[in-house]
Amino acid sequence: MEAALSSPPEWLERMVLLAIPPAARESVAGDLWETYQNPAQYAAEALRTVPFVVVSQMRRNLNPPTLMLQGALIFICLGGPATLLLMPALMLRDAYRAQGRPCPRRAIREAILLSSAAMVLLFFFMSIHPPFPVRGGVDPFTWLSLFLAALFLSPFLCLFRAGLIMQGDRRNPMAASALSREALARAYESFLRGSFCRNVLEGVALAFAAVSGFFFAWNLLLVGLFVLAAVYLLLDTVSGAGMAQDFVSLRAQYQRELARQEQLRRFLRWLWFAPVLVALHARLAGAPSGDSLVVLLNCVAVAILCFLVAALNREHGGRVQEQIGHLDRLRESF
Amino acid sequence: MDSLGQFEQIVLTAILALEHNAYGVTIHAKVEELSRPRKAARGAVYATLDRMEDKGLISSWLSEPTKERGGRSRRHYRIEKSGEKALRESARTAQRLVETIAQNLGGLAWKPR
Repeated sequence: MEAALSSPPEWLERMVLLAIPPAARESVAGDLWETYQNPAQYAAEALRTVPFVVVSQMRRNLNPPTLMLQGALIFICLGGPATLLLMPALMLRDAYRAQGRPCPRRAIREAILLSSAAMVLLFFFMSIHPPFPVRGGVDPFTWLSLFLAALFLSPFLCLFRAGLIMQGDRRNPMAASALSREALARAYESFLRGSFCRNVLEGVALAFAAVSGFFFAWNLLLVGLFVLAAVYLLLDTVSGAGMAQDFVSLRAQYQRELARQEQLRRFLRWLWFAPVLVALHARLAGAPSGDSLVVLLNCVAVAILCFLVAALNREHGGRVQEQIGHLDRLRESF
Repeated sequence: MDSLGQFEQIVLTAILALEHNAYGVTIHAKVEELSRPRKAARGAVYATLDRMEDKGLISSWLSEPTKERGGRSRRHYRIEKSGEKALRESARTAQRLVETIAQNLGGLAWKPR
């Protein structure tokens, strides 16, 4: 292909880059640049191309079990209209999933934002019951305790995020820019072994949780989900297909398996937290009318739980995306 | 094994024909050439490439960044064994179609244009 004679205007390119999902940004933006003729042609080509790329990334990153579980949780907690509104938003968010772990500054900012929102909620409730509510039996001491709890929430969430970031930094399994086919096969085999052990252990734990849940009168749908997930994990033969013979095919196989295992883990992380979310919702539904404090505390608890699961998913998912990206650039050494 | 759609056959054939130079721009150009007179959207080519990669029919990797692409890499594609098998199967079906049409439409004189 001929080299491009000129380059697109910076502002236009920045807009196009923002619209392209991160997973396809490098190659699609490069292709658009390579065929650049003038700003109008560039913009028109981007407008024609980007929707296909977004839909394709939505399909690729779609995790039907996780989405169904999230949908069910939203439906139970917020109702049908909210589910209809939030499901496409969740799918779109998946299409624009970052190709790496979130930067520490952003991760900490999210934690501070969440705890600040909890504090604002508290202030809001305090302001609608001036000076301190006596109705509902809430005394000034309780409000002060709540305020202090919200104040300590920020460092706790920041520490949790920092812990995840540090754990991610410690694990850097593949740093070489070139590997032989044999070395890649060894790395893949070790990954398969690790996945197999983890799946068996988690399958047993899920089965145990399902049995306990049955005796503790959990929601039957939830018990069923735990049983299904346990059976799937225990039956899942990770190394079903043989190992590819050449470097390129083996790398593609490794990338597909990494993505598959990560999709599975994303679902399982939500599944483990689902009973707590359902229990919190049951408490919310059963709270006496006018007891705004219980409602407030439960809402804050749900928000924190969702933050914890999302943080775990972003950190672990980001690490897997980094690994897939690293494999993309890996050269074969002889 | 899933059978290939028509557009998938065209994209796979384009990758096969381009050998070591198969990436977004060249694949799109080849697809347009193969599917003449119809135009093919570049986005549709990307979507098909993604789908076939997920099925394990092709594999991809990133090249070194180049200046003519604003310092960005090319995503190169290569056909896999399963892709070759699927394409051969499609070619056999197409061959049978051509023969049947030739027998019924214009005898031995008929040739696909």
